[in-house]
Amino acid sequence: MEARSLFVLLSGVFFLILPTLFPYPYLLDTLILGFMYAILAASWDLLSGYTGQLSFGHSAFLALGAYNAALLTQRVALSPWLAIPAAGLFTGLIGILIGIPALRVRGHYLAIVTLGFSEVIRLVAQNWLALTGGPYGIHDYATFPGFPEDPFLAKHYFYYTSFGLLVICGTVMYWICERTSIGKAFKAIREDQVLAEALGINTTFYKVLGFALSCFFAGIAGSFYAYYVRLVSPYLAESVNTVWAIGMVILGGLGTLIGPIYGAIILYSLYQAMRFVGVVYNLIAVGAVILIFVTYFPRGIWGIWDWLAKKSFLGRHKSILKNFSKNSG
Amino acid sequence: MDNAFLSSLLTALVLGIIISGIYALFAVGLSLLFGVMDIVNVAHGELFTIGAYLAFIGIVLLLLHPLLALVGVIVGSLAIGFGAYFLTIRPLHHRLGRRPKAPVYLVLTLGLSIFLQNIVLAMAGGNFKVIPSYISGTTNFLNLVFVSRYRVFIFLISMAVVMGLFLFLKYTRTGLAIRAVKENSAAAQAVGIKVDQIYLITFGLVGVLAGLSGALLTPIYRVFPTVGAILTIKAFAIIVLGGMGNLVGALIGSFVIGISESIAVMFISTDWKDLVAFAIMIVILIIRPSGIMKGE
Repeated sequence: MEARSLFVLLSGVFFLILPTLFPYPYLLDTLILGFMYAILAASWDLLSGYTGQLSFGHSAFLALGAYNAALLTQRVALSPWLAIPAAGLFTGLIGILIGIPALRVRGHYLAIVTLGFSEVIRLVAQNWLALTGGPYGIHDYATFPGFPEDPFLAKHYFYYTSFGLLVICGTVMYWICERTSIGKAFKAIREDQVLAEALGINTTFYKVLGFALSCFFAGIAGSFYAYYVRLVSPYLAESVNTVWAIGMVILGGLGTLIGPIYGAIILYSLYQAMRFVGVVYNLIAVGAVILIFVTYFPRGIWGIWDWLAKKSFLGRHKSILKNFSKNSG
Repeated sequence: MDNAFLSSLLTALVLGIIISGIYALFAVGLSLLFGVMDIVNVAHGELFTIGAYLAFIGIVLLLLHPLLALVGVIVGSLAIGFGAYFLTIRPLHHRLGRRPKAPVYLVLTLGLSIFLQNIVLAMAGGNFKVIPSYISGTTNFLNLVFVSRYRVFIFLISMAVVMGLFLFLKYTRTGLAIRAVKENSAAAQAVGIKVDQIYLITFGLVGVLAGLSGALLTPIYRVFPTVGAILTIKAFAIIVLGGMGNLVGALIGSFVIGISESIAVMFISTDWKDLVAFAIMIVILIIRPSGIMKGE
């Protein structure tokens, strides 16, 4: 088994038994939202890291998912278990609507138009009082049925729900990006769109598909947030949430999908740990992480692993060993 | 149409034109930087914020003469522009070489923006700061429109600086070199222009423009750490409207956005005012991504 798969498996087991080992509410709370951000970061990576379409508006999709879930439960009393995929589908649909006009623009322009879109969503959330409750947001809706009243016990339920969602979404996204022809098409478009088109890849279809899938998962992250925090406000659509997602992806490793998940858990834990120092400093830290990693470690933590493997004795002599075994065999 | 309505319409128009001057000062720099370095600087607004805080420090805390404080702002923003260039832009530029760089720089300047914004927040706190207007009195046009003298002053200054920038680019050797790099950096390098140096000059110049616009606007607006970030998004709308990299386009775009915002407030609630710029931008990007001006 490859070392990296082993690492993922072991860390998965670690997170499964963590609540029994360290049942501290603060730690659980950190990880519950950390897993939520991991889904968001991975969804950003699916769009921007794999298809190369830079989105600066993922906070809008997070907010759309959250508002959608909250409204579905508040207005039509839909069970959260159904509302989460429904919110995902709705956000995915919006993603298609954004993705089609976005086909005309690339690079800088796409980043700017998505940033503008997230501002529009934020302003609508803030000012459409009848639907969104304005600046105060929505708070009077039920959460998952059957979760215990005791807040400490409920934390455990939320923890496993969040972790389960992350495992499902992460696996599906990884499978799409690394094990299917869709992922190959995404990467081809990222590397050279003209060449991809010449090879017969339907770039229009795959670019919109990238938007739809990414927004679907961002919406799922948002809807879980709605049921956990139980307050949905225009704050969700603020671009600072996009910055978080991008920082997590850059820290973990752009275009690796698994890296951003760890990047998210690390960066969010760092954020919570730094609460004791001062709330301002954690965003300075996020900015510094982006600056340092983009400039000096563009492949993130997940890439440093490769680099270390290459530098290590075994890595350096891998080819020699392989040749040796081939010759002697 | 009664006199009161006409008066308020004209007032809105004049105020819109005045705010457009500041937008122009800010957006022309952003567009120039894009043209020369192929970078959309998300941190442009933070230079604006820092310029505003420097003006606050100079005028309110140190009680300097306003003009002296403006000189201080220019020096300070130049230093910060150079610092940002040497610490972040240049190392990445050297690492990337000639590879296409669009998304990487966007993410880099986004990091820079968050970094600077929160440093300002940590140092200055989140409270609003106010700089008293240092030119008092009002001017009236045709007995219909009354505008404070200070607003007229900032409009004249900002237009003078923008015109100065255009003349500098058109008639000096350095300006010619900047335009050459903007046109084709490889060819410019081939004829002996030091491209690195031009990048540095452009980055510093653009930093000064942003800082100066922040310093000029503050006696009208209050100063807070995210004041520039809001303006950045608006400036994106402006340079998209004018065609990215097109300086005259950015100038015209500033007036289009500034005036339409100011007029729109008469008909819609101020809560929705910021939406005007984004709506114009999104429509332009979908209909005509190259902007209102012809070509780049």
